[in-house]
Amino acid sequence: MFIAVFAGELVKLRRTLAPWVTLGSLMTGPLFLALFMWIVSDPGRAAQFGLLGTKASLSGIEANWVSYASYLTLIVGLGGTLLLAFVAAYVFGREYSEGTAKVMLTLPVPRRVFVAAKLLVVALWWLVIVLAVYAEAVAVGLGLGLPGITWTAAGALLGNLLLVAGISYLLAPMVSLVTVWSRGYLAPVGFALGMLLLGNVIGHTGWAAWFPWSIVPILVGSVSAPADALPVGSLIVLAATFAGGVAATMWRLQTADVNQ
Amino acid sequence: MSAAAVVTTAGLTKRYGNVTAVADLDLEVRPGEIYAFLGRNGAGKTTTIRMLLGLIRPDAGEVRVFGHQVRLDQPSWLGRVGSLVETATAYPNLTVRENLELQRRLTGAPAVAVGQVIEQLGLGAAADRRAGQLSLGNKQRLALARALVHSPELLVLDEPANGLDPAGIVEIRELLRSLADDQGTTVFISSHILVEVAHLADRIGIVHNGRLVEELDRAALVAAARAFSAEQLTEQQRADALLTLELERYFLARTDGSVQ
Repeated sequence: MFIAVFAGELVKLRRTLAPWVTLGSLMTGPLFLALFMWIVSDPGRAAQFGLLGTKASLSGIEANWVSYASYLTLIVGLGGTLLLAFVAAYVFGREYSEGTAKVMLTLPVPRRVFVAAKLLVVALWWLVIVLAVYAEAVAVGLGLGLPGITWTAAGALLGNLLLVAGISYLLAPMVSLVTVWSRGYLAPVGFALGMLLLGNVIGHTGWAAWFPWSIVPILVGSVSAPADALPVGSLIVLAATFAGGVAATMWRLQTADVNQ
Repeated sequence: MSAAAVVTTAGLTKRYGNVTAVADLDLEVRPGEIYAFLGRNGAGKTTTIRMLLGLIRPDAGEVRVFGHQVRLDQPSWLGRVGSLVETATAYPNLTVRENLELQRRLTGAPAVAVGQVIEQLGLGAAADRRAGQLSLGNKQRLALARALVHSPELLVLDEPANGLDPAGIVEIRELLRSLADDQGTTVFISSHILVEVAHLADRIGIVHNGRLVEELDRAALVAAARAFSAEQLTEQQRADALLTLELERYFLARTDGSVQ
């Protein structure tokens, strides 16, 4: 049953633009970063590029693999969290916006199975995007000949990206909950944006390790120096956020009237 | 209440704030019959159908389908039901065939069912077109095809003639009649057009302001139809006004219990 529902959820994405738009939007990250690296690698070039060159010079970016990998992790961590929210909102919300929720919910399938299948689709979609961005980043790093790029360093970047992407994913069920509650796209995307901002604010306080949306900013170093490891408490908070989000989304779909 | 009834409702009530959409509704739909639920827009037809399918919860009373008490997210009997609720919807990015294939897989119907239902509903020419590009009539046919693809024992159709041209209406009427006569399919159909259901239904339940005003069988309907008056009008507006007035008087008479 689950396999059939999961396959059906994948089929629903056929000929839709959303996977390509999300992939394309995150893949611009390594390209812009590469442009900055290319500019700052030569002071004369920075002058040629005018305002963009000045901005690149002032950003403090160094043209090497360590710097490139660090900024890329930040882009995937923060930009990716928002993008992932869009993906989750799309996968759940389109059933309401396209009027197909009543079709889906009158099938002889337990509603929790749809939730699980959709969350797996979100995970797969997110994994493909992250791996594509990683492949692009390595290609760009090699193409630019960034100092410090080695197979070990490239492997470390993959590990960091997967860690940050995995933690971001643990927050996705909360977005799916807001989506099935609000039955649209706007509220979940607004929720994710709000949480991201709040996470960055709380990230500057002593409570950062306990607030789920502050944990990615801690890891990627957007609120302080990047953390090497998370405290056990943060892992528990993340696990509880994920489990709570999944359970609440299932509960909501199982108990809410469909008046669409 | 007949033990063999396919659908029964007892004291079924649904309120939205101060508005009572369905009030104390007692219904019984027998196996193999076509039961038409006739009423004006806003009479409570769609709300009743949503409660029959477990899409919304009643505030009071109960619904039983195949003897099972209907609750939200109890899908065991939904595989025996085909439904069309309110507007015809489909995944717009998928073709007609893909939409039906999705339904077929999740209802466990055999692979040949999709081709059969495409032919049955006259969708052959549109089979490989995206649902989002279909005409209103073909969207309605697709929604009907989806309801039929798994050869359900019970069809619950909300205004199935919406968007169909006169020839299409006759075609669907004949299809439903043959399903009931040849395969013993029970059909519960809602409509606001008396003429449409008079040609099709074995029994008609007339609903007004959420209450079942009267039930008529085909013989009683034919007898009632013998008493009529005819007026020839050339002005559209005057004809509309007269028809509205007659319908109002009819429904008022049934609600009050007094014939005016």
